[in-house]
Amino acid sequence: MKEIITIQGLEKNFGKFQALSDVNFTVNAGEVVGFIGPNGSGKSTTIRILLGIIHRDAGNAKIFGKDVWKESIEIHKRISYVPGDVTLWGSLTGGEIIDLFLKLHGRGDKQKRDYLIKRFELDPKKKAKGYSKGNRQKVGLIAALSTDSDLYIFDEPTSGLDPLMEAIFQEEVEKIKEAGKSILLSSHILSEVERLADKVVIIRQGKIVETGTLDELRHLTRSTVTLATEGDVAEMAGINGVFDFKQKDNQATFSADNQYINDILMEASKLGVKKFESVPPTLEDLFMRHYEG
Amino acid sequence: MKEKFAGWDTLFLQYLKRDLKKIIVWVLGLGLFSAAFVPAFEEIAKGQGLLGMYETLLNPAMIAMVGPTPIEAAVDYTLGAMYAHEMLLFCGLFAMVVAALHVISHTRKEEDLGLTELVRSFQIGRQANSLAVMMEILFINVILALFIGGVMMSFGVDTISVEGSFLFGASIGMAGILGAGIALVMAQIMPASSGATGSALGIIGLLYIVRAGTDVSNVDLSMINPLGWTYLTYPFTENNWIPLIFALIFSLMMMVIAFRLEGARDMGSGYLPEREGRESAKKSLLSVRGLFIKINKGVMISWLIAFVIMGAAYGSIYGDMQTFLGSNEVMKDMFTHSGISIEESFTGTIMMVMMSLVSILPIAIVNKLFSEESRLHLSQLYATKVTRGQFYWTSIGLAVFAGLAGILLAAGSLGGTAIASMGDKLTMDIFDFLAAGFNFLPSVLFFTSLAALALGWAPKLGKVVYIYLAYSFLLNYFGSILDLPEWFSKTAIQSWIPKMPIEEFDALIFIMITVISIVLMILGYLGYKRRDMIEGA
Repeated sequence: MKEIITIQGLEKNFGKFQALSDVNFTVNAGEVVGFIGPNGSGKSTTIRILLGIIHRDAGNAKIFGKDVWKESIEIHKRISYVPGDVTLWGSLTGGEIIDLFLKLHGRGDKQKRDYLIKRFELDPKKKAKGYSKGNRQKVGLIAALSTDSDLYIFDEPTSGLDPLMEAIFQEEVEKIKEAGKSILLSSHILSEVERLADKVVIIRQGKIVETGTLDELRHLTRSTVTLATEGDVAEMAGINGVFDFKQKDNQATFSADNQYINDILMEASKLGVKKFESVPPTLEDLFMRHYEG
Repeated sequence: MKEKFAGWDTLFLQYLKRDLKKIIVWVLGLGLFSAAFVPAFEEIAKGQGLLGMYETLLNPAMIAMVGPTPIEAAVDYTLGAMYAHEMLLFCGLFAMVVAALHVISHTRKEEDLGLTELVRSFQIGRQANSLAVMMEILFINVILALFIGGVMMSFGVDTISVEGSFLFGASIGMAGILGAGIALVMAQIMPASSGATGSALGIIGLLYIVRAGTDVSNVDLSMINPLGWTYLTYPFTENNWIPLIFALIFSLMMMVIAFRLEGARDMGSGYLPEREGRESAKKSLLSVRGLFIKINKGVMISWLIAFVIMGAAYGSIYGDMQTFLGSNEVMKDMFTHSGISIEESFTGTIMMVMMSLVSILPIAIVNKLFSEESRLHLSQLYATKVTRGQFYWTSIGLAVFAGLAGILLAAGSLGGTAIASMGDKLTMDIFDFLAAGFNFLPSVLFFTSLAALALGWAPKLGKVVYIYLAYSFLLNYFGSILDLPEWFSKTAIQSWIPKMPIEEFDALIFIMITVISIVLMILGYLGYKRRDMIEGA
């Protein structure tokens, strides 16, 4: 598969503070990668390096096989970007700013712009200083979504948007995804990443701590199982791969290590299964596991 | 009533605490600048110094710059008289500007930033903030006035009396209160803080220029100018306290008007209406140049208008010069002997003053690129095919253009008005004025290039360029009054440039400074191209 973004051993220091110490990941063609991590973990710094806004101190970063610093302009012709905090010129209207962005990008679609303005319910005639945080964000999103690019980079794109608008954003991103574009989506709204991303990269304190498809990551973690049996459910507590066992009457809830799921099922069937529910771990669980431990 | 101002005392104390450092710098800086030059003036006054200075300062160009003196005979021109004459107007003007900026930063600016919204959610009255800021201004300026009076008195000079010292201090303090009053009104009228700052400074500038005209033509008319109520107190000579009473009444009126206006408007809006904007952009906006023109338009237009007014104001003085000479034998002799006409001498001096002011605009435009950068306005644009070179050179190009336009308008308006007011009697034509103006182009470019260099390598130092500009301006301003050593006055870039039309054009200097400026701009570009963009820092 063709690699769109390739990052190897990326490092960045701000004075004595080491913002990135070892960042490695790739984004392949047609892939949506969720880039998650808490505030200050280095998401935006990584993205700024990718955009050639700041230098890297070590490592390699390429987009479309081109160096992100030296050949940034070539790269920029084929990407769209929305910063996490869209700030606008107070004296211009939203409509004017979107037009400007489209023009400077070079591959804007006027019809899509009008369509998105309607969809996102933005008043394009209003001066930007009168916009709320969410409306400013919409301006950035509309500008990026109505351009034709090969790679879209969104840095916490839905901050400040209400849930309805968030859903519209997700639908629009899905359309881009279906069109075969690559997307790097930095976020801490996990449901969003869960819905859209093929692959998740988790960053913590400037280091990538986990990379993989959601399935792969889930495999490493435990599902929550609710089990009711005819026999004594307490026998399940001693089986390998069962954790946090809690029993209420003849029903038990426990976490099950996914690699032992077969053993667990076999043991359970000996007891006569009346009810078996398994909930896969949410990204939230993954996230918490990484940040707690 | 109580409701509106509830909690102002809390805010007032809070401001004093928060601004403590600023207040110390303000009082010490402005206070010492106003009061501490007494020993330096004693030096000047030695021997025939006072007499010579008296004659120099009777030149209308000088009166236009520093103001008038009530003294009618050179023998009465004491050290105190000279000190007040040369220093008071300027220090008062400074006090006004500083106070005006302070008021807007605590009122309209905080409103724009959303701080006011937060504050008002507590048990704080709607107008408590404005009252607190005005009380702070009052407090600071009273301290400043007493400080200046105390320092001046402490030098123990005969002609600098106790009453005069405190009147001098009080005049400067009152100037601050006046400036604050004007700013508070503008903060209500304008739709945003930038407009409030611009218009308040514009009004102060206009008052200064109008008084330049009335001081030369008819000093009595300066008494209806609020700025006049500061320096027309004539400390150490007439010790006239009455103008301060006018100033106090005027300031109170301003405050009442401002409170009325504030009470009747919604937070975050002004009285000048905001029109509904365009649904889609005009073609002219759709480029980096179009965008930069748009975001600098307000600043550019207001400064260019200011340059025209300034030129016209100084130009209108020309007509009065001959009448003035007719009444003063000494000055008449001075000019007939030197073979230079009074108009030419005036042009040389005033052009330097105006071109220093013209330099502000290009510096502001170059610095704007960094303020756009740090406000994150450009984040989304960095990710487009626009190169850093385009950002940089578009800004520099716009700045240079603004500089050229500024020189053209200032010099053209000075010349045009001068010719209109004198007709055939004037020995210079419009091209002499334009030549004298464009002669200073290298200095304007030099300031632009310093700002460019800062933008590329140490963008936070961009504001320091203003300080250097102010320094060179003061050096030239006072350099013509004080006798400074050559090397010292040469630290100001304008001093290198001959003052046309009195002096000859120097092509070598012109080209050299221009080339140095271009080199600095290129150096700035090299830095800008390779540095990290500073976002939100």
